[in-house]
Amino acid sequence: MIGLIMRRLGWTIVVVWFAVTATFLVTTAIPADPIKALLGPHATAQTIQRVRAHYCLDRGIAVQYGCWIDRVAHGDLGESYRSKRAVTEIIAHRLWPTVQLALAAIVLQLVLGVPLGIVAATRRGRWQDHAAHAVGTLAQSAPPLFVGTVLLYMFAYRWGWFPISGYGSGGWDRIEHLVLPAMTLATVGVAYYARVVRSELIDQLGADYVRTARAKGLPERAVIGRHAMRNVLGPLATLVGLDLGVLLGGAVVAEFIFAWPGLGREVLQAVLELDTPLILGVVMVSAIAIAVVNLLVDLAHLWIDPRLHDAS
Amino acid sequence: MTPRRRRSAIGRDVVALAVAVAACGPVDRGPRYQPAGATTPRDGGVLRFAIPTAVRTLDPTIGYDDVSFFVLHPLFDTLVDYAPGGLDLVPRLAERWTISPDGRTYAFELRAGIAFSDGAPITAAHIKYSLERALATADSPFSQFLVDIVGAPDVIDHTAAACAGIVADGDRRLVITLAASNPAFLNIMAMPFTTPQRADRVAAAGDQLRRRPDATGPFELASWDEGSRLVLRRNPHYYDPTRAHVDEIVALEGIARDTQFQMFERGELDTAEGLAAPDYLFVVSEPAWQPYIHHAVGMNAFGSRMNVQVKPFDDRRVRQALNYALDKRHTARLLNGTTVASHGVLPPGMFGRDASLPPYPHDVARARGLLAEAGYPHGFDAEYVTSSDDEAEKVAGSLQSDLAEVGVRIHITVMAWATYGAAIGDRQGPAFSLASWVADYPDPSNFIDPRFHSRSIQATGSTNDSFYANPALDALLDQARHELDPGSRGAMYQRAERILYDDAPWIWDYHRVTTEVVQPYVRGYYTHPIWLRDYTSVWLDVGSDGAPVIRR
Repeated sequence: MIGLIMRRLGWTIVVVWFAVTATFLVTTAIPADPIKALLGPHATAQTIQRVRAHYCLDRGIAVQYGCWIDRVAHGDLGESYRSKRAVTEIIAHRLWPTVQLALAAIVLQLVLGVPLGIVAATRRGRWQDHAAHAVGTLAQSAPPLFVGTVLLYMFAYRWGWFPISGYGSGGWDRIEHLVLPAMTLATVGVAYYARVVRSELIDQLGADYVRTARAKGLPERAVIGRHAMRNVLGPLATLVGLDLGVLLGGAVVAEFIFAWPGLGREVLQAVLELDTPLILGVVMVSAIAIAVVNLLVDLAHLWIDPRLHDAS
Repeated sequence: MTPRRRRSAIGRDVVALAVAVAACGPVDRGPRYQPAGATTPRDGGVLRFAIPTAVRTLDPTIGYDDVSFFVLHPLFDTLVDYAPGGLDLVPRLAERWTISPDGRTYAFELRAGIAFSDGAPITAAHIKYSLERALATADSPFSQFLVDIVGAPDVIDHTAAACAGIVADGDRRLVITLAASNPAFLNIMAMPFTTPQRADRVAAAGDQLRRRPDATGPFELASWDEGSRLVLRRNPHYYDPTRAHVDEIVALEGIARDTQFQMFERGELDTAEGLAAPDYLFVVSEPAWQPYIHHAVGMNAFGSRMNVQVKPFDDRRVRQALNYALDKRHTARLLNGTTVASHGVLPPGMFGRDASLPPYPHDVARARGLLAEAGYPHGFDAEYVTSSDDEAEKVAGSLQSDLAEVGVRIHITVMAWATYGAAIGDRQGPAFSLASWVADYPDPSNFIDPRFHSRSIQATGSTNDSFYANPALDALLDQARHELDPGSRGAMYQRAERILYDDAPWIWDYHRVTTEVVQPYVRGYYTHPIWLRDYTSVWLDVGSDGAPVIRR
């Protein structure tokens, strides 16, 4: 176990370094001058040159990379060209809203998608299965931008059930503000989770051990909940891990529509303005998040399926 | 299906249909509220507005975008300011001022009783420090506006810490000496970066200065959840308690345009600006909203620039032909009538603008004739670059269609703003592209000089991105820049306009009109040509309980 964790941590460092270096090379290859964008069209060439020198941008790529690596090694991710705010401060400020939105979306996907998948699997071929399939197809086909706009229009603007936008001030107010953006993110996931659960559960329900459990007189609820679903948890955990890792990097569309102050919206602005330090900082956080979550998913698999202990 | 199941199925369908009808049915979208009917300004309340991006910084020496100005102007007072809704300069921190006959020496007398938001008195030395800070700070975009001050270049180059031409003569007198006269200098003194600052506060704040404004205006910072919500509250030590009325101004950041208007309709915002096309068209066509719409022609200009040193744009006849080929009515329609057709870079209301000069008419025959004269009887192909803004792309598409009519076939490339900005200022960059300009201050020297004087040409990062060099225009601009007689100065700029009109380094297209709609209870508001959204002096005509009165 310890060996597994150490090996994965080592790979995490490699993956994060690779992701960040690739992003650095791409951003420096773009023929744009973020400093000119920052100072505006009225800036003189002398002012632009002075500020470029201030940020080490008047040197070659290797020197710029060296400057940046040196700062990162000292825990300094630099400052945003746009706001001059420390990148670590921006990420710290935006991380908690991002985590809340990601967790809320995952919870909704599980709470809605898993039961839908179970119903579809246990009512296979009947109208419930077809209805779940139709709803799932619709949900998977609708772009998040469309879904979010419709949810905002109906539930916030027309009926006033939820706030139109913002982060809220905490407690129930925060939850109220979280519902619609989380639903926007969760819509595609609900459909996907339902299909995976349905498919895996149908396989499990045809297995010998399920036939044995039924023959022993166990109620169907216990057959599914205590036995069959245990073997569906593995693929489900993988899905959750992949989703969570991606969502922790920010959900641009949902954050944009609902003005949710997460990393996604921040990095969108950074990309449009070529705010390289912030882009690199968020890429690093996303890469670390995905690697850490994947490690946790691997550990979860060990708990879910004891047979994997020997393999690890 | 059994009868009972059939009835319940029908019942479910009826409910679903009713919900759908209720959801899709028409809604009364007129104002929810009405003015309470007060005849004099009422103190109190909170003014809430939204912006699509985030405020970058509250450091006045750095903050340089229109969004930052919305909050910098209420926070920071300057020696002079603009009158509400107009461009006339009025005293602010300075009670009065004199200008020497040669136009080079400005002596400001500060009024008594002015203070920072913690009550510490403001003195002339604080303004001197502020101006020197703008000169000395590497990434301040404002040093370029102070270069005319004696000794300023030495501070910029860090060969001097103090600027010889800025003298604090006692606590209440500030004397500034220019190397050459500049009639626009008072306009520069109205920009927020000239607000008084304290060296000890700047030093103590360090990199947190951007969050700790040392307020000198009618408002101070109450709280700032960056990227979400910025709250200003009344400055208790402001010298003029009658200037501001609301208790707080709240700026909600990062609100998309559509969302902004939905929040406005539901009463969650008190004003909405930069409306998406459908919302704008609704508001201007709905009679109930008419009294609450504010328009102002911004200090801006939009069109297409051509690198006049590159074929085929080096021929004036080609440039004029493209101006005749553009149908400005198309742009006006695409932008829903929020434009005024332009004949040059100076917007309506700008000093020195020749109002009698008509925009280029749409004349396809004349365009073709000019192209043929220039040796392009069958037109030509060209690349056109625009920025990735949906309105800019629409306008580029319309231009493409207009030019195709005269045989000029343009191929549009869309770039992100940062890439676009770098590309077009490069002499080797795209020769034909979107062009725009927004004023720092309302003086023709802030428009024409940076864009068309030959000294603004650089190989890269050139603000004169047409690379237009005309010695006659240069001489005229150099003379006008220092001319003290308004009549002569105005005539010079009108001659400059005519030269640029004839030489056409741009396809002149439009000036943008800012449109803002406010709730019926928002009173005393004017969309300002420079500050745009300035809520410093608004008051809320609400009921005695502080709540807006519901419209009957």
